[in-house]
Amino acid sequence: MTTDKLVEHFFRHEYARLVAVLSRRVGVQHLEAVEDAVQSALMRALETWTRTGVPDNPSAWVFQVANNNLIGALRQHTGRAQLLSKYAGDVPVAQEQVPTCYMPGEVRDDLLRMLLVCCDEAVPAESRLVLALKTLCGFSAREIGIRLFISEANVYKRLARARNKLRQHCGHFGELSHEQFESRIPDVNRVLYLLFTEGYLSSHAETPIRRELCDEAIRLAGILAAHPVGQAPETCALLALMHLHRARLSARQNDAGGLLLLEEQDRHQWDRRAIGLGLEWLATSAHGRVFSRYHAEAGIAAEHCLAPSFDRTRWDRVAAYYALLEQIAPSALHKLNRAVAVAEWQGPAAGLEVLDSFEPPTWLIGSYLWTAVLADLHRRCGNTDTAGCYRGQALQSAPTPAIRELLERRLQSGEPRRP
Amino acid sequence: MPRYLCIQRSKPGKGEAPSPARMEEMYASFNAWREKFQDNLVDMGGKLAGNGKIVTPEGATDGPFVEAKEVIGGYMIVEADSMDQAVEIARESPGVGMPGSSVEVREIATT
Repeated sequence: MTTDKLVEHFFRHEYARLVAVLSRRVGVQHLEAVEDAVQSALMRALETWTRTGVPDNPSAWVFQVANNNLIGALRQHTGRAQLLSKYAGDVPVAQEQVPTCYMPGEVRDDLLRMLLVCCDEAVPAESRLVLALKTLCGFSAREIGIRLFISEANVYKRLARARNKLRQHCGHFGELSHEQFESRIPDVNRVLYLLFTEGYLSSHAETPIRRELCDEAIRLAGILAAHPVGQAPETCALLALMHLHRARLSARQNDAGGLLLLEEQDRHQWDRRAIGLGLEWLATSAHGRVFSRYHAEAGIAAEHCLAPSFDRTRWDRVAAYYALLEQIAPSALHKLNRAVAVAEWQGPAAGLEVLDSFEPPTWLIGSYLWTAVLADLHRRCGNTDTAGCYRGQALQSAPTPAIRELLERRLQSGEPRRP
Repeated sequence: MPRYLCIQRSKPGKGEAPSPARMEEMYASFNAWREKFQDNLVDMGGKLAGNGKIVTPEGATDGPFVEAKEVIGGYMIVEADSMDQAVEIARESPGVGMPGSSVEVREIATT
């Protein structure tokens, strides 16, 4: 009796594969029926396999059961529809012709198609990420809520809106032309970027949960990049930046779960393999005419990954990338980051100069990010009083105890932190 | 070594179905539990279907009764040195972790 034959994340990823294949076959308007059929097939697998062991081909086993479940459910549905149409004088719904196994290459294409569906403009923007986490990553509404810091009810609402749209626009999700596919890539990348940053930047205390979201984003971006059309330079740059950030994820926390500053991190803990992958994707991304925000962000991440130490980081290049980023995707945060990079490169006074004539938006003034940077730069310039004032504000607006603790360490008055 | 019959009970009605992510956790905890107690697990038994018959001298009737507060969902047989150990095995089994479920442990008397 074998118990550990299943690959990691078999249930979640098999769920994604089955939902993608089956909903392509019967149409996305039946997405809910497909999800139910797959869910109960996996449940049956769990109950059976824990007792009798895993069959030789677990995927085929679950496929059979899910497929049968779905045919049964749709028959019932069709029966009801026919009964209704008899009275309404409507055309009867055609019987589905459903093959009973995976076709070669089908899974990859169908996962990609599902990804395009989840990120389609017909789906409300705030539903896209939630729909992707449900159908392509196998998380429940509750689990999605925990990961995105929204309520379970909110997740249900977003899923329901998405499914409604899929029903209304089901004709729209047929075969895509080359051009249509190409035109949807930016939307897909945006959702994948969001998924990744939810994992990477979230203040979630549990590292495994954050890592999981990052890994899912990388997996889905990999599906997109595996397709000749999907492998746009932006997608490659996005994958580069994901791998380069993922490589450093574990090193951001100390053993007690506290956050570590970049200069405090043990660079030996960075994942060299992931850095290698990131650099490969970065090289692949360097073609075409577009320099996207993903290129700029991947460039910054690569500079950090390649620097032998904090002090020997090529801050001039980091500052230049932030300047580019500011142009491509204007944001006060990018300016703030550029000021930090310039301060490391040319000294704190030069950093302050970047922010000199800058009027930050109100959301940034109230954020610890803004006040912490000002406190740090003023302290290093010797403006003790101004620094103390900003320091107080920064500590007060720290969103989590871990961040507050980090700020206290970073903004200690007295000796500058480095000679 | 004495053997014990473990009877899994649960509240009737369907709770929320576990997500695939949750199933992965259940699968992992089940395997960990089975590995820990592999020498004790004599017969993994199985799930019992919801409908059955009650046979009496008067004949067979439908049962178990739907109005029952708890339904028997499955069974298995374990081998243990003592009732305490059998209880320990059952207590750590993933089936006990589900809300509203319980396991009844009864020694199978051989003398």
